[in-house]
Amino acid sequence: MPHSTTTRRSPPSLAASLRGNAVTLSWAEFPSVKEKVEKLRRELDPLTLVQTLVSYTILLAFLVAPLSSLVLQGFRFQGDLSLRWFTDILTSPEYVSLQSRGGRMFEVRRGVMYIWGFDHGILLNSLFVAFSVTVLCSVIGIAVAMIMGRYEFKGKSIFRVILLIPLLATPFVNAYVVGKVFNPQFGLLNYLLYDLLHVIPWRISVDGLVGLMVAQTLSYYPIVYLNVVASLNNIDPSLEEMAENLGATGFRLFRTVTFPLFLPGLVAGAVITFIFSLEDLGAPIGFIGATANPLAKNVASYQIYSAFAEACTGQISPKTSALALLIMIITVVSYVAVKTYTSRRSYAMISKGGRWSPRLRTPGLGVQAAICLSLLLLVLWGAMPQIGTFVLASTNWATSGTLPTRFTGEFFKALLTNKDVTRAIVNSLGYSFAAVAIMVLVGSSISYVVSKRDIPSKNILDMLATVPISVPGVSLAVSYFLFFSTPFFRGSLLDPLTDPALLLIIAYTIRRLPFMTRSVYAGLQQIDKSLEEASLNLGATRTTTFVKIVIPLIVTNVISGALLSFVYSMAEVSTSITLGALREDRVPITFFISQIVYGTAAVGAVSIGASLCILLMTVQITAMAVSNFVLKQKASFLGV
Amino acid sequence: MVEIELRNLTKLFGDVVAADHVNLTIEDGEFFTLLGPSGCGKTTTMRMIAGLEFPTEGRVLFDGQDVTGLPSFERNTGMVFQNYALWPHLKVFENVAYGLNVRKIPKDQVKERVLGILDQVELEGMEDRFPTQLSGGQQQRVALARVLVINPAVLLLDEPLSNLDANLRVQMREEIKALQRRLKITTVYVTHDQEEAMSVSDRIAIQNHGKVRQIGSPTEIYNVPQDIFIATFMGRGTLLEGEATSTEGGVHMRIGNITLQGLDSTGSIKQGDMVACVIRPENYCIDEPIEPSNVLEGEVEWASFIGPYTEVRLDVDGNKVLVDVPPGMEAPVGGRLKVYIPYKNTIMLPLEE
Ligand SMILES: Nc1ncnc2c1ncn2[C@@H]1O[C@H](COP(=O)(O)OP(=O)(O)O)[C@@H](O)[C@H]1O
Ligand SMILES: [Mg+2]
Repeated sequence: MPHSTTTRRSPPSLAASLRGNAVTLSWAEFPSVKEKVEKLRRELDPLTLVQTLVSYTILLAFLVAPLSSLVLQGFRFQGDLSLRWFTDILTSPEYVSLQSRGGRMFEVRRGVMYIWGFDHGILLNSLFVAFSVTVLCSVIGIAVAMIMGRYEFKGKSIFRVILLIPLLATPFVNAYVVGKVFNPQFGLLNYLLYDLLHVIPWRISVDGLVGLMVAQTLSYYPIVYLNVVASLNNIDPSLEEMAENLGATGFRLFRTVTFPLFLPGLVAGAVITFIFSLEDLGAPIGFIGATANPLAKNVASYQIYSAFAEACTGQISPKTSALALLIMIITVVSYVAVKTYTSRRSYAMISKGGRWSPRLRTPGLGVQAAICLSLLLLVLWGAMPQIGTFVLASTNWATSGTLPTRFTGEFFKALLTNKDVTRAIVNSLGYSFAAVAIMVLVGSSISYVVSKRDIPSKNILDMLATVPISVPGVSLAVSYFLFFSTPFFRGSLLDPLTDPALLLIIAYTIRRLPFMTRSVYAGLQQIDKSLEEASLNLGATRTTTFVKIVIPLIVTNVISGALLSFVYSMAEVSTSITLGALREDRVPITFFISQIVYGTAAVGAVSIGASLCILLMTVQITAMAVSNFVLKQKASFLGV
Repeated sequence: MVEIELRNLTKLFGDVVAADHVNLTIEDGEFFTLLGPSGCGKTTTMRMIAGLEFPTEGRVLFDGQDVTGLPSFERNTGMVFQNYALWPHLKVFENVAYGLNVRKIPKDQVKERVLGILDQVELEGMEDRFPTQLSGGQQQRVALARVLVINPAVLLLDEPLSNLDANLRVQMREEIKALQRRLKITTVYVTHDQEEAMSVSDRIAIQNHGKVRQIGSPTEIYNVPQDIFIATFMGRGTLLEGEATSTEGGVHMRIGNITLQGLDSTGSIKQGDMVACVIRPENYCIDEPIEPSNVLEGEVEWASFIGPYTEVRLDVDGNKVLVDVPPGMEAPVGGRLKVYIPYKNTIMLPLEE
């Protein structure tokens, strides 16, 4: 009877079996520990080791350590651990006041209706503004997203581009324009509606907290729109179709099916809006420049900023650091919560299967016209700051009253001829280039380790690299000041009082790192792991594989991320106008603009600030165009 | 060229046992196939040979040398991935030259060897194309050339034909087999297709749930399967279950009025055991053969003309039996049919719990 061959085994040599036994015995009780140790040893090849160490060093030294010192300072009173500064803030009416401490709302006085909002203390004002802006942006963002994501109409591709105009950076000047348009005496809006058309019974003054809300809403609604559209495009159309078959239509369909499905995108966009609003300095400073209304100053970000005026003396009051810490806790906690929520939710979406061709309806021509008209109004309204900036820069509008009277190129010329202006431009370019160079190294390392290697704590690395998007710039600035102006660093290149240049480069690096890592990460996700394995299998080490296989495959993502980070570094506000203010010859562009708008720069005219904004926008548009059309990358990361 | 030995090779992914105490020896120059249903751990086992996955337990030996802890780039294996894993940013020439460049071979030699191997896989003239400009079959050849050019000690092929269409699959498997014969390279081949496995392999290991269930030549595996899983996985057939009434001269079994006699595949059946009788549909004779045989008679329940034969389902006292009836022979549905199965083609296996 034939028998099949079973396992053939050659007898193991005595030495081998002894060695094998010894190992098995000593680890017998901890087989999993042994496996983990061996695995770690294999994962930590020289490349991974260097990448991990460099990334951790930079993040620990320039994110974790300074923020920890902010935390320590906030919780310390006369050398002891204490909640004193927080109780101080939460109990003093200057910060938190349930009763109104001033301000006007829909109040008509001498022919002017004042829409300013009420002052409830610095902290509540900030939260109120941020919350309202988030709600307003969500409503507008959802509406636009539903139109853009569900309807096909003439001119849609144009709207897809111009809807993003508000994202173009016009720091300070945007709010200045809004303030100017809403000015009760010679503002454009009142001129149009009151003087010319007589459709309103009073002149309107939109200013103070409401002014901030308007200016910020105009800038931030595209963030919500982009995130919601992205998740709308990920919804399986059959889910909506099934609900329709079951009889759900119109608003009911939206409420029961569509809305819950795009909720993750909405929440992601909303939390970014909330954070950006809470940390925003551009609107308060711009408004103060335009109307000098003190209510616009009564928000946390501005208060922390103004504390820097005294920072040159080497001191920042503990109460200011506590405030900086408080708003940071609020933003970071909301961000982390949302990130946790959306990463859980979006996995569920992905598991249902990749991309869908979205469900598009083509409505009748009448409806199409209505859609176009309302979008056009929104775009005009939303692009008001950018249009205004352009008018300011190219005409005499800044000094001519309601309407400009003549064109002029003098303000653009000043960019090249005015020494102070050119120095600011050169400074900003230098900082941004240097920051981007570091970001390329650190950002690609982090993304690679996080997406391709399996080492413990890589989730921490991932978190540290993305969380800076939620750290308010002013809080980071305060923490840098506290940490690096200590005696230990005194006089070194890291001491902001000696020379803020290096710290600015580092601040830009940390703050814009999420843009870089996101972009590279997206590229790495496209690389199947077998492409690397094939290289290893053919005899290449991990380092060779990284250089010859991985880098060429992600190079467009790296460049695209670098462009994006560069743009946002050039337009960085918070640390630029705080740390950057500490030495006159080191000021970056945005500091310079803030001083112009504020009215304290020697150069004067807001128009030069506007022309600097035009320069920023040009850089931004160029970078986006290169990224989109040359590199074929979608470069607009503003999510979680 | 090497001999590969796997000892107690085990891999856990969390709670999933991907490979379970795999023991086998692949001889120098042998074409060895890991065969099993999808998810049974074939790829994982192969990746542990390549050094792309590391065992939770057990060892991998090349020519008696322990290579268990060696990274892939120190093993000199050549793996062809299921998706080919060609680098999209490199031309065909650069893809194939990669392993040689990594080994710092002089430029002129690289060129000579790359062009030579491209010739062998019939890709001459394609060296300046990018992988996306090639058909599936051509990509497959590039993947093969890319590993063969470095003269690997072991050739590892993970379902290399699964992305090709049916005609090309047969052609490619013949080419791979011929190439392997010519180069005499130790080859491990992974597939879930039993026909493919039988047509190319010197020996086959059947894997299920991570465990190797049987190792043997294609004929051994087909004719003398060691358990019911293998018997059913390796081909079509009918399973009839009953009690072993005697083990004199093969195993005798009785189901109702039917008595069957067959070979004890595992050599472990005792009188009174519950056994399963496996009969392959192609083993029936319509006329009584000269050798001793079992007889089954029943009503034709269903018949389907396939081409080379007619597939017929017989109802024999309530037992459904699949029979291949040769062409030219009538087997109308509802009619009666009497068939014979030689004893030596009747497989008896112990019934598992
Ligand atoms: N990297 C991995 N992580 C977790 N589970 C895995 C991994 N690779 C394989 N598995 C699991 O191990 C089992 C065997 O997989 P595999 O070796 O790919 O099977 P086959 O190649 O035979 O289809 C499967 O259950 C699979 O899901
Ligand atoms: Mg497989």
